[in-house]
Amino acid sequence: MPPPPSTAVADAVVEILKNVSRRPIEPTPASDLIADLGFDSLQVMETVAELEDRFGLSIPAEDVPAARTVAQVTARVEALLQARRLS
Amino acid sequence: MTAPLRTLPAALDDAARTGEGFVFVSGTTERRRSYAELQDASRRFARLLLARGLRRGDLVALVVSDSDQFLTALLGASIAGMVPASLYPPATTTEFAHYLSATAGTLRSSGARAIVTSGSFAAAIAGLQSSCPDLALVISWDGWQGAADPHSLCPDISLDEVAFVQFTSGSTSEPRGVEITHRSLSANIEAINGPMGLGTSASDAAVSWLPLYHDMGLVGMALGAMYAGRPAVLMTPATFVKRPVEWLRAISRHRGTVSFAPNFAYDLCVRRVKERELEGLDLSCWRVAGCGGEPIHAATLSAFARKFAPVGFRETSFLPSYGLAEHVLAATFPPRGRAVRVAHLPGHLDIVSCGSPLPDHQLRIVNEEGLDVGERCTGEITLAGPSVMRGYQGAGELTAQTIRNGWLHTGDLGFLDEGELFVCGRIKDLLVVNGRKYHPQDLEWALDELAGVRRGRAVAFGLSRAGTADRVVIVIEPSGTVDGAALAHAIRQRVSETCGVYVDEIVPVPTGTIGRTTSGKVQRIATRLQYERGELRSR
Repeated sequence: MPPPPSTAVADAVVEILKNVSRRPIEPTPASDLIADLGFDSLQVMETVAELEDRFGLSIPAEDVPAARTVAQVTARVEALLQARRLS
Repeated sequence: MTAPLRTLPAALDDAARTGEGFVFVSGTTERRRSYAELQDASRRFARLLLARGLRRGDLVALVVSDSDQFLTALLGASIAGMVPASLYPPATTTEFAHYLSATAGTLRSSGARAIVTSGSFAAAIAGLQSSCPDLALVISWDGWQGAADPHSLCPDISLDEVAFVQFTSGSTSEPRGVEITHRSLSANIEAINGPMGLGTSASDAAVSWLPLYHDMGLVGMALGAMYAGRPAVLMTPATFVKRPVEWLRAISRHRGTVSFAPNFAYDLCVRRVKERELEGLDLSCWRVAGCGGEPIHAATLSAFARKFAPVGFRETSFLPSYGLAEHVLAATFPPRGRAVRVAHLPGHLDIVSCGSPLPDHQLRIVNEEGLDVGERCTGEITLAGPSVMRGYQGAGELTAQTIRNGWLHTGDLGFLDEGELFVCGRIKDLLVVNGRKYHPQDLEWALDELAGVRRGRAVAFGLSRAGTADRVVIVIEPSGTVDGAALAHAIRQRVSETCGVYVDEIVPVPTGTIGRTTSGKVQRIATRLQYERGELRSR
């Protein structure tokens, strides 16, 4: 399977965030998951599980607190995909 | 008929002879630890504590996320005659700096002599020593070696000594350490396991994903199984929260018979377990599906039962219960194997019966004068009997306010119907989001230094909602001419960093709207009532 281009990753992240949120949200790259999108810790973990399923990744628990904005989440997923391609 | 009461070390002694033990589950890995192995490790840890100069009765704080390490440290401190005290570990959504300052406050006010910690935050916790004068020792689990010195153990601990202290919330404003004696712990566990509770027998196995720094996970699941000499499968909370189906898979795989969780866990399974994940599950072994720790919603339980009936779940397995850390854990249970009993009150959600008081325990519903109210009349739930805590550690005045003439005033509201308890709210103005309690004062204090909010003019409160977390509302008096949307963003950011909770609604009101008590405290309840009546005028 060819690696998805990064806009595809960004689009998928936004789609997953919209599904996980139970509020009508319009995430932008700068949106903070907790402060702006209203995610609680359970929804953050649900997002992680959905990202793992979508991209076939294993996202380490230590990565979770570090990524607070949509852009940071996207970058983290891209880095993990990149690492997988190189390994 | 009633089992003799036992201290923690005595119960571990008995359990070590059974051949049973814990299974620790994290992600996809499982590790078995027999009670005999746990006892051996705990004894080595006890010797280490003694070798490092700690003495009988010293408070040993635990901030340990690994379940095996946590239980070894807890039991080790107990064997050494010390008092283990569990603290909250950092939450993923809270800024670590705020967590550290809250933890330092708890360590100072509790007079903890040692702290046991592990993992990535061990180094940061170690840095707290300079600001905590009583804290003589920081033990990082990762560097721990068993002490060789043959310090003598088992210093003949009495049932009336404190078995552990449990800090009931991560609050910075009011850290409260609940002191539980061995006598109370044992009495509550025997009542839980007894015929009027779970009816635990030699064929039972517990499965839990609950955190061990919380009473339901520690007492109800881990220690409850250990006192009964039965196995318990303990999964990390993160494993469950990431993939709720893992809880059900563990029950199915280990043929679990007893598992407790708060309402939100059942709700998560309803919403997040996918149809394809049902394949291979067999929940027909699950005879007690306990629910407690936060308001229980009848609709959540019936949705769970509908969804998982095809894989063998029985609705009569539900055991809604009422309890609190100040009463060790459990206070009431309904009869097992019965359909969930629901009261329909006009203007309320359906309320679930939590059953009757445990044997040898008493419950009264009282009004503000402390007098009994009649059946079906709402009042404060008060409890008496062997499970009432000794008190809040180092807080005599608060203890005297809470335990009056032997009756524990829970701050929870409820009524009795045919002798069964229905819980319908709180007097204490705590916020409850996903089973975690937040003090409104913490949210208010977080805004003290925020530009655009008049200092000390913020009021936070929670509104109960059907089947989900409290709706968190903050009423503020803005200062100056800060843009409304920017201010709302700044408030949400600050509160989420400090307290780890999302603010659902921010209500700016004109200067002078928020009342003060004579002692200068904000009038939280009055403000909430004004909000609920629609009397708050937006600025």
